[in-house]
Amino acid sequence: MKIELSAVEKWYNRGLPNEVHALQQIELAVAENEVVCIQGPSGSGKSTLLCIIGALFGPTSGRAAIDGRSLARLPDRFLTRYRRELVGFIFQRFQIIEELTVAANVALPLLPLGVSLRERRQRTAEALERLNISHRSSFPAGGISGGELQRAVIARALINDPAIILADEPTAHLDSRLSLQFMNIIEELKVAGKTIVIASHDPLVFGHPVIDRCLFMRDGRLTAHRPD
Amino acid sequence: MVSYYLGRQANILDYALGSLRRRAGRNSAVVIIFALVIFLVSSFSLLTTALRESALRLLLSVPDITIQQMSAGRQISLAESAVDELEKIFGIKEIRPRIWGYYFDETNGANYTVIGDPNFSIQEQLPGLRIDYSSEPAPGPSESGLSPVLLGEAVRNNLDLGDRRRFSLFRPDLSLKSFVSVGAFESSTALLTADLIVMDLAAARDLFAIPEGEVTDILVSVANPLEIETIAGKIDGRLDGVRVLTKERIAKTYRVAFGWRSGFGLACLIGAVAAFIILAWDRATGLSPDQKREVGILRALGWQVEDVITLRFWESMVICALAFGFGYVLAWIHVLYFDALLFRPVLLGWSVLRPPVSLAVQFRLTDLLIIFSLSVLPYLAATVVPAWRSATIRPDSVV
Repeated sequence: MKIELSAVEKWYNRGLPNEVHALQQIELAVAENEVVCIQGPSGSGKSTLLCIIGALFGPTSGRAAIDGRSLARLPDRFLTRYRRELVGFIFQRFQIIEELTVAANVALPLLPLGVSLRERRQRTAEALERLNISHRSSFPAGGISGGELQRAVIARALINDPAIILADEPTAHLDSRLSLQFMNIIEELKVAGKTIVIASHDPLVFGHPVIDRCLFMRDGRLTAHRPD
Repeated sequence: MVSYYLGRQANILDYALGSLRRRAGRNSAVVIIFALVIFLVSSFSLLTTALRESALRLLLSVPDITIQQMSAGRQISLAESAVDELEKIFGIKEIRPRIWGYYFDETNGANYTVIGDPNFSIQEQLPGLRIDYSSEPAPGPSESGLSPVLLGEAVRNNLDLGDRRRFSLFRPDLSLKSFVSVGAFESSTALLTADLIVMDLAAARDLFAIPEGEVTDILVSVANPLEIETIAGKIDGRLDGVRVLTKERIAKTYRVAFGWRSGFGLACLIGAVAAFIILAWDRATGLSPDQKREVGILRALGWQVEDVITLRFWESMVICALAFGFGYVLAWIHVLYFDALLFRPVLLGWSVLRPPVSLAVQFRLTDLLIIFSLSVLPYLAATVVPAWRSATIRPDSVV
C-alpha cells in the first residue's frame, strides 16, 4: 500500500501557553513494499508522524492518504477498520494490558474479527513462535522483561497480517541479537510485500540493508538528508 | 455473516469474563449487593403472590351475604328469629345462623378463631376448604359426648396435641369444656385456617355462654350471584340496625388493606433498586485511569465503539445473571424454608392471626418477568448507556 503525506501540519494545544508545533509542512511518499526509516532525536515528531499514518489521530492541516484515499475524509468507523485490518502498530511504550497474559494481549486485535477460538489460538501461537516468546505466553504481560514485552508487542502488530507496519523505536528494549532478529522479521515482511515505516535512531536499524531509504526529522521537519 | 457475528460475540464475551476476573474483588461486591436487592424484591413478590392466592381461597369460603347486628357502631348479638324474616325474601338459597368469636389462649398468647356452624358435620367439607380427615382417627367410645371440632394447623401445634385428640377450653366462668379433634385443615389453606376451631353451633354457644336464641351473625347464600346486591338491599330494608356485608364488599376491604401494605413495601423496595441503579450508573460513568487506558489500547488496536459497548454489555450481563440467579434462588429459600420472615411483619402485621402459618408459594412467569424488568433491565441500561462515552475515548489517548 502506498502512503502519501502532503503539507501535513500538527499542532498540540494550539493557542495555549503549552502549544507544540509537532509537524511542519511534511511531504512524504512511501511506495508499496518500501521500507523507510525515519531518524531523529526524541521529541522531533517521529511518533506523531507515525500516529497520523496509522490514523490514531488526524493532522491539523494537510493531507494524509493511503493508496490515494484521504484519511481525513473517512469517518471514525472506517478509520478504526483501517487500523484493524491494514495497520500493524508497534508502540514505543508497548501499550499492553499488564494484567492480561502475553497470549491474550497478542490476540487482542483478533477479537472483534469474529475468528473462532481455535483459529485465534493457532494464530496467536504462530505469532508468539515467530518472535521466540512462546515460553511466556501464559505469563501476565506485566511480569516479563522489557525485551520480551517488545517482542510481544511486535507479535501483536503482526497477528492480523497487516499491509502496513509502523514501528516506533522497535528495538529500544532489545539487545543487539534480538534487534537483528527483529530486522530479519522486517526482511521477511518486505519479501511478503508489506510497506514499512520505522522510526528509530538505532544504527542496527537504519544501517540494515533491508532499509530502502532513510529520512531525517528535526523540530517537526522532515528532510532527505541528515541536518547539520 | 452469522458465524462472524457469533464468533465476534463469543470472543468479546470471553474477553469480558477475563476482564471481570481481573477485577474480581470489585465485581464480587457488585454481584453481592445486586443479589441482595433482587433477593429482597423477589422475596416480597413471592410472598405477596402467595398471600394473594390465599386471599382468593379466603374469598371462596366467604358467604354471599353476612348479616351482623350493630349497636353504637359496634357489633352485638343478633336474634336468631331474624331467620324467619329472611325466609320471606325470594331468591335466598340458604340461611345459616352462626356464632363466631375469638378465644384467647393465655398459655400460648395466641388468639384462635372459633366458628360454630349449624351445618357442622365431620363428613361435610366447608366451602373452599379442604379437610384432611385421615389425620384424625374416628372418635372412640370414651370420646362420645365430647364436642367434635376441626382444628387449624397452628391451633393443633399450639395445643401440643401430639397423638392426643382431647383437649379443653375455658368458658367465661372458667369452667372447662372438653372437645375431641376429628379433623385438621390442610396446611395449604393455612392462611385462612391456621387459627381456626370449627364446631357445631350448640358447642360454640356453650363455650362463649351466648344465650339461646342469639347468634353473632347470619350467613345467607343466594341462588343467583347477580342478585346478591339486590337481596342485600332487601335485607337491609327489612332488619333494623343490621350491617349487611356482601362478598364483594369484604373482598374490597381486603384488597384495600392488603394493597396498601404491599404497595408501601414495594415502594420501599423500588427505592432500594433505584438507589442501586444510581450507584451502578455512577460507577459506569466514572472510569478509573486504568480502565480508560484499556479502552484506549483496544480502540488503537482496531476495536470499534460498538465492540467496546458490547464488551460492557457482556460484563453487565454476566453480573446480572449471577446476581439474579443468586438473589432469586435465595428468595425462594427464604420464602419456602423460612416463611419469608423478613417481610411477614410488614404484610401480616394487621392480622390477628398470631400462630405461624405455612405459605403456599407458586412460581409464576409473569412475576419473574416483572422482577427481571424492575432490576436487570435498569441495571443494563445504567451500565451500558454510559459505556458509550467511555467507548468513544480517542485511541491516541494512550500514545
